[in-house]
Formats: sequence, structure tokens, C-alpha cells
Amino acid sequence: MNKSILSVVVIAVLSLGALQSAYVVDQAEQAIIVQFGEPIPGIVSQPGLHWKLPFIQDVRRFDKRIIAWDGDVTQIPTLGREFVLVDTTARWRITDPLKFLTSVRDESGARTRLDDLIDSVTRDIISGTNLEEIIRSRDWTVDAAALDEAGVSREDVDLERPKKGRALLEQEMLAAAAKLMPALGIELVDVRLKRINYIDSVGRQVETRMISERQSIAERFRSEGQGKSSEILGEMERELRRIRSEAERKAAEVRGKADGEATKIYGESYGADPEFYAFFSTLESYKAMGENTTLVLDADSEFFRYLDSTRTR
Amino acid sequence: MGTPADRLAELLQFGPRKGRAGGGGGSAYPPGGGGAQLPKLPLGLVGVIVVVVLALWLVFSAYYTVQPEEKAVVKRFGAVIATRDPGLHFKLPFGIDTVEFVATERVLKQEFGFRTAASDSGGERTEYSAEDFPQESLMLSGDLNIIDVEWVVQYRIDDPMKYLYNLRDPTRTLRDISESVMRRVVGNRLGSDVLTTARVEISNLAGEEIQAAMKKYDAGIHIVTVQLQDVIPPKAVQPAFNEVNEARQERERMINEATKRLNQEIPKASGEASRVIAEAEGYASERVNQALGETARFRSILAEYRSAPTVTRTRMYLETINAVLPTIGNVMVVKDGKTAPLPYFDMRRPRTAAAAEAQQ
Repeated sequence: MNKSILSVVVIAVLSLGALQSAYVVDQAEQAIIVQFGEPIPGIVSQPGLHWKLPFIQDVRRFDKRIIAWDGDVTQIPTLGREFVLVDTTARWRITDPLKFLTSVRDESGARTRLDDLIDSVTRDIISGTNLEEIIRSRDWTVDAAALDEAGVSREDVDLERPKKGRALLEQEMLAAAAKLMPALGIELVDVRLKRINYIDSVGRQVETRMISERQSIAERFRSEGQGKSSEILGEMERELRRIRSEAERKAAEVRGKADGEATKIYGESYGADPEFYAFFSTLESYKAMGENTTLVLDADSEFFRYLDSTRTR
Repeated sequence: MGTPADRLAELLQFGPRKGRAGGGGGSAYPPGGGGAQLPKLPLGLVGVIVVVVLALWLVFSAYYTVQPEEKAVVKRFGAVIATRDPGLHFKLPFGIDTVEFVATERVLKQEFGFRTAASDSGGERTEYSAEDFPQESLMLSGDLNIIDVEWVVQYRIDDPMKYLYNLRDPTRTLRDISESVMRRVVGNRLGSDVLTTARVEISNLAGEEIQAAMKKYDAGIHIVTVQLQDVIPPKAVQPAFNEVNEARQERERMINEATKRLNQEIPKASGEASRVIAEAEGYASERVNQALGETARFRSILAEYRSAPTVTRTRMYLETINAVLPTIGNVMVVKDGKTAPLPYFDMRRPRTAAAAEAQQ
């Protein structure tokens, strides 16, 4: 019985030793071995089953992957004195676990350092820059025609291309923050501005401004409508006058030409015997006399001549 | 997971389906039969139970099924040894091999500014959460106006290895980057463009930039599409935007009305003009024809007259008087050389001219 108890104890000690001397490094991890609290140089970056001295050596694991960092929303005045709420995001990675372990110990330690660093860099950059610069990018272009149609013509916002633009500012932030990272065993992959919004009071002012801007655009549309309408009607009036006068002119021309032709025809024919024409024409005009006409005849006229002659005879 | 012992113990626990990335249903696995507290039993029976439990454990931890839309990443002692396609597969038991499943074929999505509450309640209509997420959707446009943009990013995991082991929380990174990129793209345009014409351009550009960022992180994520949903001005400003639309309509209406009048009046006037000209032309031909007719008559008469001038002349005169007198109102006859009133007689009554003649 004693023997079996002894064997059980031996098996237990041996298996504990085996468990203590084997460790697993995950695909996502890298590890360093710590002996009595002292890190042993050399990083275990290969994932898989590894061995160490039992009991006296300890394993510290660190993530190998890119880790997301999210900053607090901070209120920062820009160069133009508008207060904005800025939310930044960054990605980092542990590149030197040894330095990382000695300088910040663990991820939460790293996080606080990143908080301080990126926060201050963000403040520096944002407060030294105009809001337009932060919002727009280098390839900012405004089509003048589109601008006119949209009705954006504001004095308070210049529509210039930014000198740096958002991407470049982000690069500057990254460069400034990354300078201090090697000492922490950290690589900063990128720093990005996630959200930028006005603080509430400024936001309300902006909304009021947007409203008045829209209203002035609406007003412009209305007067444009009136203007265009008058223009069209004026054009119509011009066109009408042109059409009518042209028609009248043409009609007069046609009539005149016909009159001329008629005169020519009459002249040619009547000219053959003007005296007879006078006689003929006079007779014709008598025929045109109506009921209300008073005809005065000379008693000596041709008409009465023969009456006379019969009487005297 | 502190000491190696803990770590190994954890590994040895049942858990073939540890961490199913990207969601996805799974087939049921039996619960682990761990060390139960046994009452005092004969040693032989304990041995049998231990062997049975171990056998069961062996059987159930030695295979796994990969669903059609998934891929499986197999790790041995934490190190990736293979990626498996859908189907039934075997592995080393007792947690030596572990498997992670990644839904590579499914199109996943992230929503910004809104949330789908239930995607298939009866399968007929999608319900959206009434809640808004203004902190996600409010952003500034290039002319420093506030704009509310809601959008969806659809993506697929195209490399499960990269997806699992290059980024710790790929979904969160995807969300952060999407928000950052969308704000950059919107911030580079006029608010009015974002609301109207630039929508497609914005979603394309955002898709490209998010994809580029994912490529930079080697995240194993393929962006399928970025779609803008509601893009609206902030609530307080919306009535003013509507007013602009109304004014625009009014402008169009006024222009249309003027054009309509123009289109009515001009053809009318043209018709009128044609009429005036046609009338003149009618007059012209009438006048010429009249002249031709009259002169033709005159010529004929003249020809006759010339053959017997005196007789014809008298005849014409008398004929005319004959024809005219009955229709004339008053005829006065004056005698040459006599003083005015007496020597004339007045044929007051019309149609009695013949009688008056007879009287005389």
C-alpha cells in the first residue's frame, strides 16, 4: 500500500513538473520567459508547444496582433476658436515585448500611456489648425458652377483648398506620437481622426446659419423665377411685334405692287384714247349713283336736246 | 490564464468550438464529462468509469464539421497547422488540436447611424431600431455644415488566417476606419453635393479607402460594398431645406408658365401674320384682275366706238341716263342763263321721274 501511495505521489510530482515545463504559445501571441522576475532575453514568437524550466521560469504572453485604441472624446478649440469634439482612433502593436514588459508592464499600462500621448498630440494639432483644414483633404476642389447652383456663397467660410488637409494632419499626428513609441516597445500603426463635431452650442449656431443660408437660397430661386418669367414674356412681346410689323410691311408691299401694276395696266389701256376714257368713265360713275343722290341736269344737255327740238317743231 | 498549468488545464477542457468568429450557427456538441465527485465506489468501477469518460472524450473531441459557408482554422498547441474546407474532419483529441470557424462565404455587414432590430420577423419586412445613433452619423461637410449620414458597410472575410491573427478585434477596427473614412470623404465635399449628386461617388470612394486600410492592416477583409442610406440635414434645418425645394419648384413653375404663354402667343401671331399677308395677296390679285378686266372691256368698247364715234357716244350717254335716272333720288334741271330757283323742277318723288318727264 505504501508503495502504491509513493507511486501516486511520484506520478503526481512528475506530471506537475511536466505541466510546469511545457507551455503553449498561441498563433496570436508572442512570449518571453521570466526567471525569478527577471526577463530572459529572447522572444518566443513561434506559436506551438515550448519548454521551460519548471517552477523557476514563468511565461509572459503578449498579443502579436494589431490592437485597436480608442481615445476619449475631447473638447478642443481650433485655431479659429470654434470648439469641437474630437474622437481619435489608433492602432498599435507590441513589437518588443521585453521593452514593453519593462516600460509599461501590460496592455492597460500601455493604454494609459497611449491615452496621454495621443491626446496631447491631438490637442496640439487641432488647436493649431483651422477647422476647414481638418475637415477637408488635399484633393478638395469646388466646382464653381455647382457652387452657384447650390447657392453656397458665404463670407464666413472660404472655400480654399486646404494647405495640409486631413490625411496630412493625421500623418503628422502619427509622426509626433510615434516618436516616443520605440522606447515602449510599441509600434503605432496609424492614428486617425474618427469623429469631429461641433459642441452643442456651436452646433446650434451652425444650424441657425444653415437655416438662414437655405432661406436666402430659396429667396434667390423665387426671384430667379420671376426674372426668368419676365425675360421670357419680354422676349415674347418683342417677337410678337416683329411678326406683326413684318406681316404688315409685307402686306403693304404686296398691295402697293398690285396697285402699281393695276395703274400701269389702266394707263396703258386708257392712254390709247384719253378723251373717250373721260367720257366712258363719267358714264360709268353715273351708274354708281344711288337713291340719295341729287342729279342736276342742264336743260341744254344732250338729254333734253331732243325734247326741246320736238317742242319747237 | 496565468501559469502554464492553468493554461494547459484550460486547453484540456472540452471546447472544440472555441470562439466562432464572424458568427454562425453550429452543430450541438455534448457537454464535457469532467471530474464529477464520486461517492466511495470500488476501485475497479472507478477505473471503468474513468476509461469510459476518457473514451467518450476521445470520440467527441476527435472530429468536427465545417459548415458550407465556413472555413476552419486548425491549431495544434496554439500554432496554426491547416485551414479546412467545409465537411467532416478529424483532429487530435483532448484539446491538442483546436478549431476556429470563420464564415468566409457569408456577406457580413456593419451599420452606422442605425441598427436593424430584427432582420426577419416573419421574413417580410425588416424592422429598424427606433433609436438613432447621432454620434455615429452626424458629421461635417466641406463647407462646415452639419449633415446626418447613415450607411452600411458590407464585407466578407476572405482570409480566415489573416482575419484571426493580424488584428485583435477586426470588427471594431473596421467600424473605426469606416467612420473615419466616411467623415474624410464627406468632409471633402459640399454639403449640398453630399445630399444630392455625390452619393454614388462617396460610397465608391469610401469603399475603396476602407479596403485600402484593411489591406494595410492585412486584415483578411474584403469590402463588398459601402451603401449610403439616409443622408439628411439635421432635423432643425430640414424645413429650410424643404423651403428651398419648394422655391425651386416655384421657379420652374413660373418659367413654365411664361414659356407656355410664349408658346401660345407666338404661333397665334404667326398665323395672324400669314393671314394678313394672304389677304394682301388676295387684294393684289383682285386689283390686277380688276384692272385687266376693266381695261379689256374698255378696249373692246373703244374698238367699237372708233368705228362709229358719234352714234356710239350718243347711244352710250342716253343709255346711261336711262339706266340711272330711275334709281336717282333727286334730279334737278336747270336752264342755262335763267336765274336760280324758277327754272328748275324738282322731281322729289323717286321712281316718278318718267312722269315728271312727261309733265314737262
